[in-house]
Amino acid sequence: MTGDMEARKLGDTDQETTVATFGAIALNWLEQEGANQMIEHALDHGVNHFDVAPQYGDAELKLGPKLRQHREDIFLGCKTQKREYDGARHKLERSLDRLGIDTINLYQVHGLEYEEELDTITGEGGALEAFREAKAEGLIDHIGLTSHGDPDLIIDAIDRIDDLETLMFPLNPVVMAKTDAEYDYEAVLERANEEGLGTLIIKAFARGPWPSEAELPVEDRPYANWYEPVDTPEEMRERFNFVASQDVTSVVTPGDPKLVSMAFDAASRYEPLDEAAQRSLIEKLRHEDSPVPEQLHH
Amino acid sequence: MSVPQTVETALADRPVEGATCLEAGAGVGNTTRGLLEQGAGHVYAVTNNAEHARDLRSSLTSHEASRTSILEADLQSTPLESNAVDLITAHGLCNVVPPAVLGRISAELARIAAPGAHLVVDDYEPLPDDAAISDLFAVENAASELADGTPALTFYPSDMLRRVFEGHGLTFDRKRILLDPVPWTISHVEAHANLARKTASNLPRRLADPLAAELDRLVEEIGSESTGTMYSLAFRMSER
Repeated sequence: MTGDMEARKLGDTDQETTVATFGAIALNWLEQEGANQMIEHALDHGVNHFDVAPQYGDAELKLGPKLRQHREDIFLGCKTQKREYDGARHKLERSLDRLGIDTINLYQVHGLEYEEELDTITGEGGALEAFREAKAEGLIDHIGLTSHGDPDLIIDAIDRIDDLETLMFPLNPVVMAKTDAEYDYEAVLERANEEGLGTLIIKAFARGPWPSEAELPVEDRPYANWYEPVDTPEEMRERFNFVASQDVTSVVTPGDPKLVSMAFDAASRYEPLDEAAQRSLIEKLRHEDSPVPEQLHH
Repeated sequence: MSVPQTVETALADRPVEGATCLEAGAGVGNTTRGLLEQGAGHVYAVTNNAEHARDLRSSLTSHEASRTSILEADLQSTPLESNAVDLITAHGLCNVVPPAVLGRISAELARIAAPGAHLVVDDYEPLPDDAAISDLFAVENAASELADGTPALTFYPSDMLRRVFEGHGLTFDRKRILLDPVPWTISHVEAHANLARKTASNLPRRLADPLAAELDRLVEEIGSESTGTMYSLAFRMSER
């Protein structure tokens, strides 16, 4: 057990976020007692940034008691999928109520997917008006955005939201091995860093999509994640070291509670990978994707 | 097909833009594509493998093909004139070149390099003693030695290749580590096993059968393994 996990500055904010962010969706699959233990487990590892959302079943409710007990030790991110002022304001108040706290440290536009959504969010009567008003009232401290959508759309959002402070998006060696623009989250990272945004990385532990339903019915999947995760301590550590070696703030732990402890352990023992080791991992995954033509060399 | 990061990294500090290049041992054309992507004026892709030449020809776009000449030739004696190229790459070539031939190929590359030309040689260090995949390569070499008296694979130490090319008037410029460890994936393991099976199939049954059985066992046992180092050496030809 270690409490001295590396922390990095969350963009231009005053927050120092640990290299692991606890993805509190994992609490949804635990009873209250198990949820309490997992939160204590995160804090024992020194994790100081938690992330939750109202879409994660009753994760907000299960997070509440321990969050209130350790409020000063936890920088809390929450988010809303509502794109207009009224819905966003309502969801924010509901999350504050369910969590039982007065302030959410980071409130994020959740899961941006389409250009039209961005128009709505940034337009008159859009969600960002509610975010800004809440910030002025002290209900939230910072404004962020999350997306696993088109990298170009995310970059567009960075351009159009002047007071954006953090970005949550995917990055892992599988997407970094691909050269098509639709996977170019490295460009997102570069742009986010230019703009001084904190960067929170999701899907770091994704191995790939699940096999088809014919091969593996949904109810037979061994993990709650909607993608197939890596799931051995060595692979988790390899993935963590790889992603944390990019110029990012923090890596969000996977959603399935069975994997969370391995991710905390990997973060506590984080060792940066040099460039040859990073290329090694990218090369390994590049070939898994394309078995033909047969390649003898790298 | 995307250009591997190993190729991008090896070419990153070389003056590819506008250069007349030669890919020695073109294989599936990874480096040819890397050179074209980085703005090479023209690429001679040289291979002695007709199948590779055909595959590469059919995979290039018309724009790429207009800047590429695919030559089916022996690298010991190419049809190119002396001093013809500005940049030569040998990416993963030397490990398939038997020691007896290495000297002649390096001399030929030095001959066609223009004064001041660049040479990039990317290859694998000998594997560590505990590498399981060494057993697979040993069987691949055994099949090849039995078939035609030459090894299929030779992993030359970087220091040795450096001395070989320096011996032909090239000046050593730099060494980079491309991969550490080298990921020998299931598809690499199977590709090597397939090649060895093909070689073994031409041998008498009493030799071929035990080799094939051992290959099956090793593929199963090794699965995949990350071990060893891939390096990149860069040289300059003197201005003469």
